Amino acid sequence: MSSGPKAASKPWAHVLGPLLCLAWPLAAAAQDIPAPSQPAPQQHVKIAFVQVDGDPRYAPIRASDRIILKAPEHPFAGAEVGLDEAAPLVRVLNTDFTLDRVVVKSPADVAPAVLQAADAGTHFFLIDAPAEAYRPLAAAVRGRDLLLFNVSESDDVLRRDLCAAEFVHVYPSRAQLMDGLVQYVVSRKWTNLLELQGPSPDDAAMTAAFEHSVQKFGAHIVAQRKFKPGTDPRDREQNDPALLSAINRDFDVAFVADSDFDFVRTVPYHLVRPRPVIGSIDLEPVAWHWTWDHNGAPQVNSRFEKRSGGRHMEGADWAAWVAVKMIVQSVLHTNSADFSTQRAFILGAGSFDGDKGLAVSVRPWDHQLRQAVLLAAPYEVIANAPIEGFLHQTNELDTLGDDQPESACHLNR
Amino acid sequence: MNGCPMLRLVATILMGLAFARAEAKDTGLIYVSNEKSNNILVVDPKTYKVVNDIAVSRRPRDMHFNADHSKLYIACGDDDVIDVLDVATSKVVDKLVTGSSPETFAMDETRRRIYVSDEESSTLAIINMDRNIIEKEVPTGAEPEGVLVSADGKTVYVTSEVGDLVHAIDADRGYVTQDVVVGTRPRRFAATPDGKELWVSTEMAGEVYIIDRQKFVVTGKIDFLPPGMRQTDVTPVGLVMTKDGKTAYVTLGHAAHVAVVDVPTRTVQGYILVGKRSWGITLSRDEKTLYVANGLGDDITVINTASRKAVVSIPVGRVPWGIVVDE
Repeated sequence: MSSGPKAASKPWAHVLGPLLCLAWPLAAAAQDIPAPSQPAPQQHVKIAFVQVDGDPRYAPIRASDRIILKAPEHPFAGAEVGLDEAAPLVRVLNTDFTLDRVVVKSPADVAPAVLQAADAGTHFFLIDAPAEAYRPLAAAVRGRDLLLFNVSESDDVLRRDLCAAEFVHVYPSRAQLMDGLVQYVVSRKWTNLLELQGPSPDDAAMTAAFEHSVQKFGAHIVAQRKFKPGTDPRDREQNDPALLSAINRDFDVAFVADSDFDFVRTVPYHLVRPRPVIGSIDLEPVAWHWTWDHNGAPQVNSRFEKRSGGRHMEGADWAAWVAVKMIVQSVLHTNSADFSTQRAFILGAGSFDGDKGLAVSVRPWDHQLRQAVLLAAPYEVIANAPIEGFLHQTNELDTLGDDQPESACHLNR
Repeated sequence: MNGCPMLRLVATILMGLAFARAEAKDTGLIYVSNEKSNNILVVDPKTYKVVNDIAVSRRPRDMHFNADHSKLYIACGDDDVIDVLDVATSKVVDKLVTGSSPETFAMDETRRRIYVSDEESSTLAIINMDRNIIEKEVPTGAEPEGVLVSADGKTVYVTSEVGDLVHAIDADRGYVTQDVVVGTRPRRFAATPDGKELWVSTEMAGEVYIIDRQKFVVTGKIDFLPPGMRQTDVTPVGLVMTKDGKTAYVTLGHAAHVAVVDVPTRTVQGYILVGKRSWGITLSRDEKTLYVANGLGDDITVINTASRKAVVSIPVGRVPWGIVVDE
């Protein structure tokens, strides 16, 4: 393994203030190669990874008794793995790649930070920011020679309403994730669904995406219930999974939209009928899972675990890894130092190996990466959507998410 | 003797053993490595029955016989070793230490060397077969896979699955001398017998790339699409070429077919239906029979090359990877 300087730890980043840049030059890794005469790289490709300090999506999720259930991490290590893989290519490409980590204080600071790095010659950005950062960012970069890869936000609004040509959404949209989930239950003929929706706007968005998928693939929602997390006995009709599921129609599966991962933990084994739970627990649609063991995934997981100090690779890590890979491959396969040629490859002919089956590529209409969705139980990937039998006239991956005819975004027109 | 069936049985077994030992070479027996059941199954080519089940180190994949077929070398990915199987006794008699997760390898018995791609450490390990030491580890692109040694032993070719590269490595000095960019996820090699071309399967690109070995550039590509299959299922991995350099057979992975390619014209002549996720492929010495390992079907397919039809499918272990024939 090559050894580069360690990535910034979060507390340190906090102390250093609004803008922190750490360059991690690839040249250090390339020194291992005993090539006899290595010409100095002709081209330097800079990639900036922009994250927001205190991003609530990365707050630890705790049980009520202060037990930490999940401690999500920014996907920087995923980008590092992509850069590690590029090390042997430096010789072939006459190009070196650098990855800078930029930590800003708030979502509003993302756009200024991107512009500052752009003025210093960076064309490629990995954006790890919550949805609210995207509107000002889109306005700031419109028409600039930049490509910004969304590596962690699934909000459909970014693909539909914002619809900006400078973005590539590598992370799957909610629509893709929910389509994958519903394809699976429909393939099992579990078409009668109970829907339990939480109080947050994210829960509402997830539920809307789910309902759209249910309609698309011909399942039925037999009852819709809104839950209210808590223990107040006066609210028991809304906080007790047994009472919430005590309906006079049978159902095959209970879908729960709970982005807080709070109430949903109490649902399995507490429904009035013995039925599986999907959505936010037990069977979740994800971009990546650490137990996926096909298509070269074990090697990627292993490289990631080494690079991240033993963490399991998650969806956003996968997206950051693929984004860097897309950038590197655009140089490799165009053999060009010109940004617009590289961008044209990424947005056009480029198809990339995402290690989950069918090759991934960018949809020309909304710049969403078409990709498989993994249906993950805690210790096993149960299925890889598109599920066999869901057919498409050109690419089965377009059975997931907004296909061209129904897309609200038409960047290719 | 007639009065003692037990003795007779023992005598028969002993005779059988003696016979087996004497006939260890050229048995025609088919050896199949099974990634998930950690064993080598031996199949009788006449009866299509499994006649031996040999436990080896974990995750056995690529296999090669030495020149006199007295030993079978088996790369075992999860134990980071190449097991050395004594063919006559079916016992593992030695283990060569490799880097992390050995997948495929090539042997050069003249130089007493094994070149093995170590998938996780992204290196090509050069192993001294006699001393059981790694003489050198050559850094490659990420996830190296296919390995091929030139006839003169001077050059080793390696694919990098993640790097979309084929490396040419100077075998003596142990570093990469040339690279050529090929399609997405290059896997394995076949060399034309005239030594001029290197054929490389590219799994995600769904093609076979043809490299001119002299100039080390890509000079052609072959596309595949078996009838009724989708382009995205075409994931070529294994390939073999006949000794006259006229015909190549390519396993198409998820497209569940073997493509028959006319080498001089680089055109596909036909497709043969096989099982799920076909990768490993080998030809019998007389080139009348083709054996294909179906990784996700847990079986192998036996093909008659004259009729280009599958003759039989034989259940083997879990996730069969490679097939070699003792002849």
